[in-house]
Amino acid sequence: MRIVIAEDSVLLLDGLTRLLSAEGHDVTGHTTADGLVAALAPSTAGTAPLPDLVVTDVRMPPTHTDEGLRAAIHLRSVHPRLPVLVLSQYVEQRYARELFTADARGLGYVLKDRVADVDEFLDAVTRVADGGTVIDPEVVAQILARSPRSGTERLTARERQVLGLMAEGRSNTAIADRLVVGLPAVEKHVTSILAKLDLPPDADDHRRVLAVLRWLDQTTDPNGAPR
Amino acid sequence: MSSTTLTRDDVTVVAPALCGARALLLAPVSGASWRAFGLAVIGWVWLWFVGITLFTLVFVGVATLPLAGFGLLLLTGTLWTAHWFAVVEAARLTAQTGVDVVAAPRRRIARRGFWRTVLGPLADGHAWAALGYVLLGLVVSTVAAGLLVGLSAAAVAGLGAPWFLEQRDVPVHSFADFMSNVGPVRTALVALLLVWVVPVLAQAFALLQAALGRGLLAQSETAAARAAQRAAEKAQRHAEAAQQDAEARAVRMVHRAEHLAQTRSDAVEAAADDRRRIERDLHDGAQQRLVALGMELGVARRRAATDPDTAVVALEHAHAEVKETLAELRDLVRGIHPAVLTDRGLDAALSALAARSPVPVTVCVADSDTLAACGPAAQAAAYFVVAEALTNTAKHAHASAVTVDVGCTAVDSTAVDNSTADDSTAVDDSSGAAGSRLRVVVTDDGIGGADTAAGTGLDGLRARVAALDGTFDLVSPPDGGTRLTVEVPCVS
Repeated sequence: MRIVIAEDSVLLLDGLTRLLSAEGHDVTGHTTADGLVAALAPSTAGTAPLPDLVVTDVRMPPTHTDEGLRAAIHLRSVHPRLPVLVLSQYVEQRYARELFTADARGLGYVLKDRVADVDEFLDAVTRVADGGTVIDPEVVAQILARSPRSGTERLTARERQVLGLMAEGRSNTAIADRLVVGLPAVEKHVTSILAKLDLPPDADDHRRVLAVLRWLDQTTDPNGAPR
Repeated sequence: MSSTTLTRDDVTVVAPALCGARALLLAPVSGASWRAFGLAVIGWVWLWFVGITLFTLVFVGVATLPLAGFGLLLLTGTLWTAHWFAVVEAARLTAQTGVDVVAAPRRRIARRGFWRTVLGPLADGHAWAALGYVLLGLVVSTVAAGLLVGLSAAAVAGLGAPWFLEQRDVPVHSFADFMSNVGPVRTALVALLLVWVVPVLAQAFALLQAALGRGLLAQSETAAARAAQRAAEKAQRHAEAAQQDAEARAVRMVHRAEHLAQTRSDAVEAAADDRRRIERDLHDGAQQRLVALGMELGVARRRAATDPDTAVVALEHAHAEVKETLAELRDLVRGIHPAVLTDRGLDAALSALAARSPVPVTVCVADSDTLAACGPAAQAAAYFVVAEALTNTAKHAHASAVTVDVGCTAVDSTAVDNSTADDSTAVDDSSGAAGSRLRVVVTDDGIGGADTAAGTGLDGLRARVAALDGTFDLVSPPDGGTRLTVEVPCVS
């Protein structure tokens, strides 16, 4: 598939390009967020097809703050169906909240360090390009740790584990694989969690992610008081 | 405050007979009369003694004036004596008249010095007035004593005359003739009259003497006022000087406080800048390299079995990354604090800097022993000043040679430029005389024109130096050559 990468570290850009090319992908690299947006301009104008995936770093020139994230949000607002995988040197819950606003379909936010786990990274690339949702376990752990919301304490340890994996965007099948249990057991846990947290029982993985994230995030919003 | 005239009450004390009919009637038995009599008689003897002594001295003094200042000394001594006479005479008048006479205080000599000590008494108006008092008092007391003693004798004689004439054959013809002409009864009447006249006269003379004493011995009101004014002026001058001193001190303190506040905020900012720089260096450098390294290793593991060639390439990349990362970390750590500075001292650290510089550098370190005594903060500042200067020189100056001069200097405010004088006095205030200063001079023969605009490395250095209460001086004319002089206290 066709992948566009924006990464200011030439070294890492080079490595990513080689890695993805070796997997048989067609890779184009850019070192700035502006370069990325400019490269997608023909697609925006309709004169060229959209790439299958955009991978972008958060911190890039000129200000070295969150240019990549801004570009990702911009591209998602123009092309809601464009799959975007955001790589970040450190995970920040606020970035995740800004990114996952409306539709979690084809959206990923993972730590850059995950690149070292090549299999996992390639899996994330494929999942996001296929319209899945990938959220770094670190982000989920952060949100769970900071969520003092009543409800989570009623969950069993196993249910918390499942909740975390749900938030990461994993499907029931993937959760069952990860926990080495049967699919019916996972489905039972999920139903129990959704019931305990008053969330709508929804089969769609992506909407489930958003619901879980939003539910967890409500209490950690610095401006909002717990309901 | 002493009065120079006699008040109505004073007159009542000295000469009550002049003030009322009853006192006049009682004059012969009044204590005032007897005191007045004593005053006249004792004054007569005493003033003659003093008068002869003082005026002999005055005459001799004036006569010997041409003799190389001997007369001057004599006059000075005389006037000095006259002052003490005035004190004694005032005490005598007080005791013998019953009213207070206070001698003028000696003229104060404002400042010490031979000529002031010698000539001071000559300018003492009160001492000269005392001499005048001696002269006038001499006349008054002589006349008074003569009259009073004579008239008293006459009174005694007149009263005793009838009895006296009967008892003896008096050989005093004149008196006998007088008596026979006037008659014993009239004589007795005249004598009786004298019994009142003499006391009244005595009181009158005492009054005159007291008035003279008050007028010539006491401090005149204008002089007293002048003295008081002088004292007040002096006190005011003292107060003003003290106030000016306090104000100047307050101003210095305010400047010092402003200076400290400024350097403190600069130091905080410099530290924050340092942390940002280190974070950026780590983020852009080591962290990215390690991510890439992890990825290469991941690829190598993934391909080891199926595609050994790709795995080997990935491992080679990984190996290169590790070496690069180590070099970068070494540079970064050196930028935070150079280990060679801690381990081997400033001398060795500067040599290491010089060795890395692409421009030939000559390092002159005055005395490594005294440098070793400097505090770690001062040494680190010196190291980074040289490091930054050498970096700038290599980047911008197009220089062919650089000289680095390092040494310790004793605190010497005259050696400091005007532009930095404020800083250096401020330093003196805080560290006292204890602080010698570490001085670093970096000179190059490049194109010049360096400046310390905000955001440059030199600006950061300036903040770092200011935080140590040091001075920073950059001379870099556009026609060539740059000279950076930095001084920091050895112990801060």
